[in-house]
Order: sequence, then structure tokens, then C-alpha cells
Amino acid sequence: MSDLWSRIEPLLAGVERPVRYIDSEWGASHDDASYRVALVYPDVYEIGMANQALQILYGRFGALEDVTAERVFVPWKDMADAMRAADVPLFTLESCRPVADCDLVGITLPYELTYQNILEALDLAGIPLRSCDRTDDDPLIVGGGPCAFNPEPVAPFFDAILIGDGEDAVADIVAAHRSAKAQGASRAEILRALARVQGVYVPSLYEPRVSDGIFVGTTALEGAPAIVHKRVLPDLDSYRAPTCTVVPFMDVVHDRVGVEVLRGCARGCRFCQAGMVYRPVRERSADSIVRDATAALQCTGYDDVSLTSLSTADHSQLEEVLRRLTRRLEGTGVTVSLPSLRVDAFSVQVARLLGGGKKTGLTFAPEAGTQRLRDVINKNVTEEDLLRTVTQAFSAGWRRVKLYFMIGLPTETDEDIAGIGELVGRVFRAAREVTPPGERGGMRVAVSVSTFVPKAHTPFQWEAQIPLDEVRRRQAVLRDSMPGKGVDLSYHDSDVSFLEGVLSRGGREVADVIEAAWRGGARFDAWTEEFKPSRWSLAFEETGVDPGGIANRARRVDEPLPWDHISAGVSRAYLRIERDNAFAARTTADCTFDGCTGCGVCGSSRGANILAGDRRG
Amino acid sequence: MIGVGETTFRLRVRFRKADRLRYLSHLEVVHSCERAARRAGLPYAVTQGFSPHMKLAFGPALPVGTAGLGEYLDLWLRSYVPSEQAFQALRSASAAGLAPVKVKYIAEREPSLGSALTIAKYEVVLEGGEALREGLRGSFSAIIAEGELAVDHKGKQKVFELASTLPKEPDVSTSGERTTVGLTVRIGERGSLRPEALVTAALTRGALDGRIASVTRTELLVEEDGSWRDPL
Ligand code: SF4
Repeated sequence: MSDLWSRIEPLLAGVERPVRYIDSEWGASHDDASYRVALVYPDVYEIGMANQALQILYGRFGALEDVTAERVFVPWKDMADAMRAADVPLFTLESCRPVADCDLVGITLPYELTYQNILEALDLAGIPLRSCDRTDDDPLIVGGGPCAFNPEPVAPFFDAILIGDGEDAVADIVAAHRSAKAQGASRAEILRALARVQGVYVPSLYEPRVSDGIFVGTTALEGAPAIVHKRVLPDLDSYRAPTCTVVPFMDVVHDRVGVEVLRGCARGCRFCQAGMVYRPVRERSADSIVRDATAALQCTGYDDVSLTSLSTADHSQLEEVLRRLTRRLEGTGVTVSLPSLRVDAFSVQVARLLGGGKKTGLTFAPEAGTQRLRDVINKNVTEEDLLRTVTQAFSAGWRRVKLYFMIGLPTETDEDIAGIGELVGRVFRAAREVTPPGERGGMRVAVSVSTFVPKAHTPFQWEAQIPLDEVRRRQAVLRDSMPGKGVDLSYHDSDVSFLEGVLSRGGREVADVIEAAWRGGARFDAWTEEFKPSRWSLAFEETGVDPGGIANRARRVDEPLPWDHISAGVSRAYLRIERDNAFAARTTADCTFDGCTGCGVCGSSRGANILAGDRRG
Repeated sequence: MIGVGETTFRLRVRFRKADRLRYLSHLEVVHSCERAARRAGLPYAVTQGFSPHMKLAFGPALPVGTAGLGEYLDLWLRSYVPSEQAFQALRSASAAGLAPVKVKYIAEREPSLGSALTIAKYEVVLEGGEALREGLRGSFSAIIAEGELAVDHKGKQKVFELASTLPKEPDVSTSGERTTVGLTVRIGERGSLRPEALVTAALTRGALDGRIASVTRTELLVEEDGSWRDPL
């Protein structure tokens, strides 16, 4: 046994929040199987433990015959430094074993700004950073998660990357790895075997071609499919979501148990990557949601259950689910919560049902300030909807509302930006009208504005992100148009959005930048106080990669893109049609209400939309 | 006084916070115990008001890193559950390091844990042998003879009257290369003396070499008419 605890414990007295490193939580499993999987989340414990996918995969791997899954989080800077000084390698929480001793290391790709932490984890583990430098003694490094749809910026760090849903794929990956190993296969042979698993992308079997410094496409080497098609779990009710999740002692970001009610969203917002890559829509039935929510609460002891998805209010049986759950939970102090709401009357009704006496604040995302621009992005929300919803909420006693907007959307003019300020003004006045005079002082409209970052596999994947000086100019236009009293305006850091743009649409050359930034000290860039743009500027300079050429350049629609060999199911032709529709300010309906619009996802192994009942538009 | 409106049953739980779980903060202990009570399926009482929550109360908080072998909480139940059954339910819903040791129903009129538990016993283990033991004994006597101890905590100075704060002389014993200090501390109205602070003061005074390896609160007691008793 290579239990490192006796060497870890002496470090704990000198670090912040030792509770991050002690394991022993309710629901943690301590098997001792022959095949070991380390599941790494590239951020600290309290962020990673709130991630539902990690809990799902922990359960799925752990349920496989003779497989043990253990959790790994990136130690905070103080602990990482102490570990390096004491020569303690990165360890799994459950058995305190070196991560390098596991058979497979799964690393989540939740968000672009966690990429340098992948290198921090591999380095602490003593595993070579790049796939090409690993030997038969090193574990297999497999990635997966939301960012896998453009894997190129991190491709050299991984032996394999799963594209799409992991629930069933993990069994196939383990089986392929095991049987190849049992046959005495070399590392290269193991990778070729993995490339035959549906949804698995093996970067070393693909070569980006560059001519005159310009990317001209990716070639699949022998034995690798030309296109890697994402994996889809066709029916969410066909498997049992974990109800006995690991319950952290530490207060984590979302201190509640999550039950996924549906996957995918077909509303078709043209800026939204999740809406494109997680199709088709798969609802779970009310019965199984209620059953799992009840079981999860019993097993974990949480006092809140969150019904999660990209768009929970779209679930066709949501009202029934809420009615049944709130009835069951009456008098127990246990609550139900929803992660996001739509802009409509139904949402206020739902919020009333959930909130009881609590009226904390409602959040809506109109995204753009004018109807024209909302039509461009296919955000099917009218000003009337928004004003009506806000009026209902404030009549029902809410005094705070938060609105999300973006600047830098394709075709945006200064008029659209000023439109945000005007819309906010009208929202405020509408809310004020239905608020008793004595309570008007407590009214608050929070406005949160981010910069649009074009993402791969969306109709806007070809667009230029607006450059930083233009972001500042447009922010100034916005500030001038914003009514002052009662409105709190906040911006998402524009340097972060710029970097996110580079990391999300870059090609393989960006891997060198990530490595240089990490070597220059970049860790935990997703934490506002840790993010230093200068580290990245130096890394771009050192590697000779022009970040503006990636983020701020408009692409021709027939240009090869670094993610062309990865298919999310939505066809390129559909994305082009949607792009044309955007520029003509033509909207496209949601296929779960109005019939198929031809995106190309449904059919073959990817299934079709599954609705538990009739949806209300 | 119960604030719940109907008859409730006050279950007092002695629990331990030990092993790796000594690194939990007080708030984490509170939340974890609440979750354990819900997992146990006990008919816990809920406070009324806008955000209803489980009704329970804790004894004095333990800092991160300090273990406790006899810690207390009071949990109010809506209906009676035989105490042995409640104990088993709680135990099977708890992690080994944060688990009930004994439970008992107590009368509603009994004072709250916060005000009743005024005597705390600690064990501080240090790395060091006989020389350390002799040095510590000398330092403790000298400190006590002065009558007062000033302690810096988070930038503020607090002065403890030792005659009242230390109702018993510290007891120092050595076994091999480990020295154990047994301390009994009276928890005053304005906070209590942290055992590490007293031991560190003794180390400094005697210019002694000794690293604190662990701190454990072994007992909490109720002081009544000059004598001490178990809160259960
Ligand atoms: S193929 Fe048609 S029905 Fe299926 S997700 Fe795309 S638009 Fe909707």
C-alpha cells in the first residue's frame, strides 16, 4: 500500500482549509479493486465537489466490475507548494495513493480558464505533461466535458478525449484499455484500440496541417476515424442517476443535491454552445425525477434539492414535479430550487411555488437590448414578456431582479447598446409602478454584462470577437445609457473574455501557450484574484502565437476550422443556414414545440428528442 | 421557551469529532450534524418563520484541528423515539470521525449547552521527552504564580485571570518521546483560554523545544454549586 497520509498530514497544519484534503465524507467509497481510476477536477475541492458530472462519473466508474474510482482536486497554491517542498506527489483523496499509480486518470474540461490547472495536476502527479512523452508505466490520461468540443488547445496533454455523454462510454473505455493491456499491447496499440471506441478522440492519431503559417485542416492517421462523432446517452431514464452522492463536509459552492431533469435544449440561441452540442432534448419522466429527488435527499441529508438542466423551466412536467415534491417536503425545512428561469409568467408562478415566504431575487437573461438583436441571436424573448414577468414578480412581492446581457454580439450597433440601458429603465419603471411607495427604496435591478465570446459548433463560430479597446468603448456607451438610481451595473472582466475566446477557438498551437503560461506561474485563473493577464501576454510572446488572430479574426465560412474533425451532430450546413438567418434577423423555432428544423442531430446513434409530456411554448 | 409551538422532545447527543475530521470548522460540524439527523430519518423539529430550519443547539465550538471526544448538541424532536433507537439511527447515518457516542432525553427547563458547559478538559500532546516535561512543569508553575496570562488572538490582547481560568494545575506526563499536558480550563463569559496558547506561553518562557502534535478536548462538564458533573 502506498498510502501517503502520514506524509500529507504534517502539511495540513500550515495550509488554509485542510478540510479540502481529508476525504472521509459521507458517500465516499473505499473499494480496493485492481483497476484504479483517478477522477481529476482541475480546480479546488469546493468547486469540483459542486460539479454534478463528476459525481455521475464517480458513480459510473465505481459501479464497473473490479474498478475503483477516486477523486482528485487541484491543491490550492499553499498546499501545492508544501507538497512540492516535501516531495509529496498528487494523491487521490480516498486511498491517498499517488495519482501516477492509477490505471486511468480522467480529467474534466469544465471551462477554458482551468486549462493551466491540468498541467499543474499532471506536474504534481509526476506524469509527463504531453502524451508523446509518456511511457507504458504512465496512466492513461483521458479528458472529457463541455470544452471537449474543441479539444485542440489541450489535445497534446491527453492520450484520449471523450466527446459527449460519459455515462455509457466509461465502460467501453475501461474495457478497451483492459483488454489491450491483457494482450500485452504497447501504449501506441492501446491508443489505437481506444480510437475505435465511439466518441473517443485520440489526438496523437490526428495531424493538424499548416501551410505558410495558415491552418489548412486536420488529417486522421491510419486506424482513426476521419470524424469523431459525439457520444449520446439516448434515454436519461435508461440509467439510474446517482442518488447517494458524496456529501462534502466543507461548505461548497452549491450546497445541495442535484437531480438532472433533462439534458439538451433546442431553443436554438445562436450564441450558445451548450444549446447546440447537447442536442437532442431528453426529458426524464416526472416519476423518476420525484423518485430520485426523494432518494437523494434521504441518502445525502441535504436540505435543498436542485432540479438541474440547461433550461429546467422547459420540462413538460415541471409543474407536476414541483407540486409533488413540495407536498412531500412540507414541514421538513427542505426546499427545492431551480438553477435558471425563463422570462415568462410561468417562471414567476414557479418561483412562488418554490420560494414560499423567501423572495431572494429572480434572474433573467434577455441578453440583448433591442428586439432586432434578440432576433439575430434567436433569443425568443420580447420586451413585452420581460416587462410582464417583472411586473408579476414585483406585484408578488419580489424587490430584486438580476438581468444578464451581452455586448459584442454580431451586428451590434451603438443603438443596440443604448437599447440595454433603455430596456433596463423601462423594467425599473414597470417594477416601480407595482411596488408600494414605502418599499420603493429597497428596489434593486442588477445588470450583469459580459462580452460575447464566439464558440465552436455554433452559428457564430466564424465571427470575430470584438477587440479589447472596442469592448471598453462599448462599455462606456452602455454606462452612459444606464439609468443610475436603483440599478447596479457590473461587467465580466474583459481580459478574461478575451483569453476565453483564444482558448475556445484556438488550434493545437495554443497548447504551447497554455504550457508557457503555467510555467510562468498561471494557476487558478478562473479565480478573479489569481488571474494575471500579463502572464498570458508573456506566454503569447514567448510562443509566437498571435491571440488576436484567433479571437478577433472573422473566418470565411468555407475555411477549415480546428474542430472540423469533431462532430457534435449539428451539421455545418445547418450552422451556416442559422448564420444567414441571424444576419437577416430571422428567428428559428424550438423543435420541441414546432417540429424539426433540420439541425441534423436526430437519427442513428444519437436518438431523438424525448419529451415526458406536451411542452408549453 | 422551545419556540416550536407544540410539544417537542429534547435529545442531548454526546459526539466525537476525531481522526481526520478534527480539521472541520465549527460551521462544518453544525451542517454535517444537521445532514446526519436528516439522513437518520429522525422526526426533527423545525423552527417557524420565513426560512424554517432544523432546531438544534451546540456546546462551545472547537477550532479547526482540535479533536473532541465528548462534544454536545441538543436536537429537538417532534415525536418521541426511544433513545436507543435514535442513537442507532444517528450512528448509522454518521461518518466514523463525527459520530454520536451516547444520547439521552433531557428536560426542557435545563439550561442551554452554551451556558451550562463551563469546564473543558484538554490533552495537548507534544514531541519531546523528559527534559520537556520538567521544563513545562517549571514554566506552568511560574506562569500560575504570576496570576495572569496575556494572550494575543487575532491582533487583540486578552488577559486571563488564572485562578479562575485554571481550576486545576496542569498535569504533565511523558511516555517515551511524547509529552502530554492535561489541562482543565474554565470557560468564562468572555471566551476561553485556548490550550495551545497556554502551552506555547510555557514553551516560550522556558525556551523549550517542543512541537505541539495534537490537541484534544476530552471532556466538557457542567459546574454546579462548586462541583462538576457530566451533562448527560
Ligand atoms: S434534428 Fe430536428 S428534432 Fe432533432 S434536435 Fe435537430 S432540429 Fe430538433
